[in-house]
Amino acid sequence: MSTTLAAASAGLDFTTAQKLLVIALCALTAYISHMALAVFNDGARPFMLDFIHGRTTRNAMTAVAFGLSAGFIFGLGAPMALSSGVLNPWLVFLPTDILGILSPKKWLAPILGAAWGAVVVFGLSGANRVAHELPVDFLTAMQQMSTPILFLFTLFPVLAITKQFGRLRGGIAGVVELAMVLLTMKLWPDLFAGALAMAAGVLMLIGFAVVRDLKQRRADRQAGVAEPVPDADDPMASLFSASAARLRKHLPVFMVLGAGLAVLGQMHIFGGGEATSFLIAKGQYAEAAQVDLYRVFGFIPLIATTALASGAYGIAGFTLVAPLGYLMPNPWVAAVVGALVFAGEVLALSYIGKWLGKLPSVRDSSEHLRNAISNTLDLAILFGSLMAANAMGGGLGILIVGGLFLLNEAMGRVVVRMAAAPAAVLVGGILLNVLYWLDLFTPVKVA
Amino acid sequence: MAKILTGGVGKSEVAQTIGELALDGLEVTVSNDMDAAMKLRARQADYFLGTCHTGAGASLGVLVGLMGRDACHTFGRSVPTEETVTALLQEGKRVFGFATDQIDVVAPLMARAIANRTA
Repeated sequence: MSTTLAAASAGLDFTTAQKLLVIALCALTAYISHMALAVFNDGARPFMLDFIHGRTTRNAMTAVAFGLSAGFIFGLGAPMALSSGVLNPWLVFLPTDILGILSPKKWLAPILGAAWGAVVVFGLSGANRVAHELPVDFLTAMQQMSTPILFLFTLFPVLAITKQFGRLRGGIAGVVELAMVLLTMKLWPDLFAGALAMAAGVLMLIGFAVVRDLKQRRADRQAGVAEPVPDADDPMASLFSASAARLRKHLPVFMVLGAGLAVLGQMHIFGGGEATSFLIAKGQYAEAAQVDLYRVFGFIPLIATTALASGAYGIAGFTLVAPLGYLMPNPWVAAVVGALVFAGEVLALSYIGKWLGKLPSVRDSSEHLRNAISNTLDLAILFGSLMAANAMGGGLGILIVGGLFLLNEAMGRVVVRMAAAPAAVLVGGILLNVLYWLDLFTPVKVA
Repeated sequence: MAKILTGGVGKSEVAQTIGELALDGLEVTVSNDMDAAMKLRARQADYFLGTCHTGAGASLGVLVGLMGRDACHTFGRSVPTEETVTALLQEGKRVFGFATDQIDVVAPLMARAIANRTA
């Protein structure tokens, strides 16, 4: 592979088995969200506690879920799916969060979820086909986004290390990662160049964090600082254990969910992380699994603590099942592995919560990792969107897409920053087609 | 002296933004949701400012569960007016959530309102 990555020609043509799986999984996730057992949106989870206890109405909770998710569905999920031809959790599971909570009756939730699944598998491929036939093919142009996303994503551990452990260690990590990228390109040209570099970066970050926590604990012990003894009526402990018990009671449902997610990953029609859809589209499943796996470290502490605080788990769990699914030889093995992984996660939740309480630097690392992920993606998505704009409309394209982005910034970021640029490409693409019909614009040939 | 703890994805940016204002009577420390919940309950700190992408849930993390919803408020991605913030502080809200892409506007607003209140 060279230094640029063009995604494979986007398909979005699903087999019958794949269509049925997506529809069934959407029905299941909507049902789970209706029962307040899990939601995909990490932001909605803390509000679920009041909802579970009946202190928030279904309507109010729906408004929260919709407000938190809409930007990510239309700005991130839909453009990513259209340009890569691979489904993603924002497009599939954020709407089922909303539909499940919105549904007034238990039986209606899976029906609404299934309907969304049908819209996704039938509607998206239709929209995809139509868009590709337009005189200005903005979807093919959007595949330009894959190169900056994948290559800049490689750097996220370096940014996190710099923020948490200073310039020196950040600089060292940067040099190590760059060396790994060059090495990978030279020795294993078929491998995604960032895969090993990312592994090295994440391992360095975790190493630094664990060392800092252990040193701190040793220093505390020498200084005679007593380790806090959790008393019996510790509010955090009792809240956490009640939530863990609630989730354990529904273990079978979670196992079915885990099985479904793993099979979805195994079918290679789904990318679990921001950078993965493009790798899946190119058939680089091992690399996709790696990229998603490193991302997991940024999310385990967040998902564990919000799940334990609210009693509602994540639809994707610790986001481990999808990357494991990519690697599975067949759907049956994937289903078994997915079910076991989810069971393990739910059963281990309270231990993970206790363990995280003792490792503040590791929890810090996960926040820095998530911050770094969004910093790299902000730049990568903006740059990729401008490349797409250039591909579909040259200078005029850059003017429209860049202009819309700047306008959004000036207006106080009406659209979430990360979603603003891809949304601008979609709007710009439609606008350029209109200009073509008005005979005001001659399409640029998209390679 | 009001003690502010920051947490969530943009915790260092929030602390830095508020620190640069050099307001009298404010002490801002980078923290995280679990430690902050303990400190707020024990009255070792006064306010928590959390940030995440949506500004709503993950920014508050475990605080809604531990402090009760009455002590918490989220601006989501919106930018509040000074009067709104003052009114919320008056009501006794101590935990606030907002979006990372609004830190540059919301963090100074919060800091000034808190400083005015304690002054």
